[in-house]
This record gives sequence, C-alpha cells and structure tokens, in this order.
Amino acid sequence: MIEFINVTKHYPGRHHVLRELNLKLPTGQMALLTGPSGAGKSTLLKLLLRLEDVSHGTLMVNGVDVSTLKKRHIPAYRRRIGVVFQDHKLLMDRDVFSNVALTLQVSGVNAKQIQSRVRAALEKVGLGNRIHNMPATLSGGEQQRVGIARAIVHTPEILLADEPTGNLDGSLSTEILDMFRDFHQHGTTVLVATHDQAQVERLGLPVFHLEQGMLQNSQEKSA
Amino acid sequence: MSAIHIRLEAAQNALHTLVKQPLATLMTIFALAIVLALPVGLFAALNNLQQLLGQWRDQAQISLFLHQDATEQDVQQLQKQLQSSTGVVNVRYVGKSAALQEFEKNAGMTAAIKILGENPLPASFIVELNPLSESPAALQAQIQSWARLPGVASAQSDLHWVARLQAILALGKTAVWILAIMLAVGAILVMGNTIRLHIAQRRDEIDIASLVGATRAFIRRPFLYQGLIQGAIAGVLAWIIIAITIAILQGPVDRLATLYGTRFELLGLTGLEGLILIAISAILGWLGSRLAVGQHLDHTFS
Repeated sequence: MIEFINVTKHYPGRHHVLRELNLKLPTGQMALLTGPSGAGKSTLLKLLLRLEDVSHGTLMVNGVDVSTLKKRHIPAYRRRIGVVFQDHKLLMDRDVFSNVALTLQVSGVNAKQIQSRVRAALEKVGLGNRIHNMPATLSGGEQQRVGIARAIVHTPEILLADEPTGNLDGSLSTEILDMFRDFHQHGTTVLVATHDQAQVERLGLPVFHLEQGMLQNSQEKSA
Repeated sequence: MSAIHIRLEAAQNALHTLVKQPLATLMTIFALAIVLALPVGLFAALNNLQQLLGQWRDQAQISLFLHQDATEQDVQQLQKQLQSSTGVVNVRYVGKSAALQEFEKNAGMTAAIKILGENPLPASFIVELNPLSESPAALQAQIQSWARLPGVASAQSDLHWVARLQAILALGKTAVWILAIMLAVGAILVMGNTIRLHIAQRRDEIDIASLVGATRAFIRRPFLYQGLIQGAIAGVLAWIIIAITIAILQGPVDRLATLYGTRFELLGLTGLEGLILIAISAILGWLGSRLAVGQHLDHTFS
C-alpha cells in the first residue's frame, strides 16, 4: 500500500511542488499519475524513492514510514522498489546483461542466480536474444525494455515508472504500458506517471491527476 | 551471496578497472613508488651510516689508569666488570712494562726513562666502546663510575665527538621522519586524485547503483580495493627501487672501503621491513581512496 497523508513538498525559496497531498494506492493495484509538466509527478515519484525528503506530512509504503526513514535504511528500502525512467538511465559501456544484473548485484545475489534471473527478465520483456548487445545498438523501445527488465528482475513489491513512454511512438507506448499491466496482474503494485492521454483512456485504469501539486479529481483519489 | 563473494566480485571489478587503463594505472603506481622510495631509501641510508659509525669503535677508546699498587686480583676483577658493561666491544690490559715498551717505541724517550731509574708508567685498561650504544650522557656516567672502581686511579676519554655524531644522526632521523610524513600525505593525495578521476568516469554507474538500492559500502568497495591494490604494488616497486639503488651503490662503496683498508656491506631492507613497506603503502592507497570516495558518496547520499 502506498499512502500519502497530507504530504507537502517545497524547496527553500521556491513555490510548493506538492501541497497537502492525500493519495492511497492499495497493494497489488495499478494506477496512472497524470498532469502537465511541472505538476509534481516526478517529485511524487522521487519522494517514493526517497530521492527527496517530504517537507510535511507522512508517506507510508507497505508499512514503512518513508518520510522518517533513516539514511542507512534507504538502500534496503529502494531494493523493494523497481523504477523505470523516461531516459532509461542505462550504462552505455555495459552490455544488456550487465545493466540488468546491477539490480541483483547490489542485493548480493550470487552469480548463478543472476545469470538465470537476468535471462528470465529479458525474456519477459522480449529481449532474450539481445543479452550481450550494447545499449547503443538497441532502438529506443528496446532500451526502455532493458530499463524495465532491470526494474523487475528482483521482483519488486512496487514498480514506479516516470514517463516510460515519453520518447516512444504510439505502438511502442502501448507495448510498454501493456507490459506494466502484465506485471500488475502478477501482483506488483504499479504507479506510472504519464502525460499520454490516449493511453490513459485506452488502459482504463485509476488515475491520479495532479495540477500545481494538488490532486484534481477527488473521485480518483483512491484507486 | 556470502560476504567473501561480494568482496571477491568487488576486487575483480577493481582489477578490471585497473587493467582497462594500463597507462594511467602504471603512472599512478610509479608515482606512488617513487614517493615511498624516497623516505624509505633515506631511512636505509641512515641505517647504513649508523652501521658504519658503529664500526668506528676504536675511535671511542677509554683509558683507565690503575693505581701503582693495584693487585693482580684488582686487575682480574676490573677486567670482568668492564667486559660485562653495556656497549663495551673490547677490553685490553696494558701492564706497566708493556706501557713502557709502547712509550719508548712511540715517543723515543728511552734515555729520559732510564734516568728515572724505575718505570713511572701505570698499568691501564684500554676499553673500546660502541659510540652509538648509549647516549653521550650515559656513556659519560659509565666512565665516571669506572673511575670510582677499586684500583682505578683515573679515566681518560674524549666523547665530545660522540655527542656531535649522535646529534647529527638524531637531526637526520627527524628530518627523514618529517619528509616521510609529508610524502605519505602526498601519496594519499596522489591516490585520492586518481580515484576521484575514476569516480568521475563512473558517476553514472554510482548514481544508478544508488537508485536501485546499492549501499555506500557496495559502491565504495571497488574503489577502496583499487587504492589498496595500487598501493601494495607501489610498495613492492618501491622495495625493488631501493634494492636496485643499493646494488648499484655497493660497487663504489666497496672501492671506497678498500681505500680505507676495510669492508662495508650496504644494508637494504630486511624481509620484514619490505613487508611493512608494502603494508604501509597499501594502507596509504586505501586511505586516499577512502577520502575521495567518501566525499563523493556524502554528496550522492545526502
């Protein structure tokens, strides 16, 4: 369960990025986070990843109070989450396998397990035959799928995605978002930030719409 | 995965990074080795100087003149006491007649002695001391205590040069220590700067690893191993540099020693000293890395 309770985020000397936000996403649910640029979508995801600190309020994730989480516990917390970025954030000097394996290496998984789990994750995203390719030799959609494989290889409790289809065309976007829906159907809690209205309508999933740091549609506050 | 496996993987990662950039790695190792070889070489030189000066024991001779009425028993007791004293290398007894013969031979005053009728020279002990065995004050105190022994009339010594020599050696040691500390800081900075460059090259990897839940220790470990490995190799290289330098100098030293009618074997580092050098060098490499990576991680994890 992801729960924002009166969460505010502001930066010193700047306007509030999120204001008194109340949002609840039950375990195993999938929802979309929409809103124009600057609405606070990325900040909300950063708070969930604990890349930023909550200014006021409480943020609970699967029983963990993220807003008061001690620094030394952040890595263990992040290992329970999978994250996909719009710009993929791949290591361009490492092959596909090494990029995906990184998530398992930081968790201390042994080499044999890494081999099998990385292969399985890449098969899942349709890149089983690109395991030793360098990212630069892949298309944008394929690079994004490597990013997704990296995010799901450790079977996280929660999967977050920040504009994962932002640089992709219509059919690729559909493919990628359908992939997220598959993961959700296997029990993962999924939250995807997107501004692709066509996909939002197609998927018919619960939507949290942000405008200037505030949730706009009260009917959609809870997924 | 066991802790050993995680560390082995980090070590492999570190080695891989070093091997991937052979020129940069070799330059860092050579720079560190030279920085380390300098003070260690100077320490070795001081050790050799100390050994050489220790051989000049005949330059630290004490003459203990005995009373005219000293008995055979007094002489034997004195000899025993002197031989068991600290820093004494040799004790030689010169009887009255031997003293007279020596005096006649050296001074050529046979006629003057004959006029006196009897032998006026006292028996004595010539004590050879290692000038570096004790402090000048302790040596002086020892000589004074010998002068008070039964049968001893007076003691004659010139230990001013010992005091001067020891002062020069102490100055040399202090100067080398200061240099060693400064160069150790230099070694840490060289390694820190090298690791900073490695961190800059791998910034993306660090950031992404942090995003997927890597701990500080996980990120830090390969860099620390890089410093440790480079430091240890630099220590071995510094040892080799010192050994080669000593081998090169041994020839000229042999020729010089022959001119003085003596032999002098230059001392290098012992096995234990070499291992200590490698350990210190590895620690300095590790410290430099730790400083650099710690600073970066403070920023990444803040």
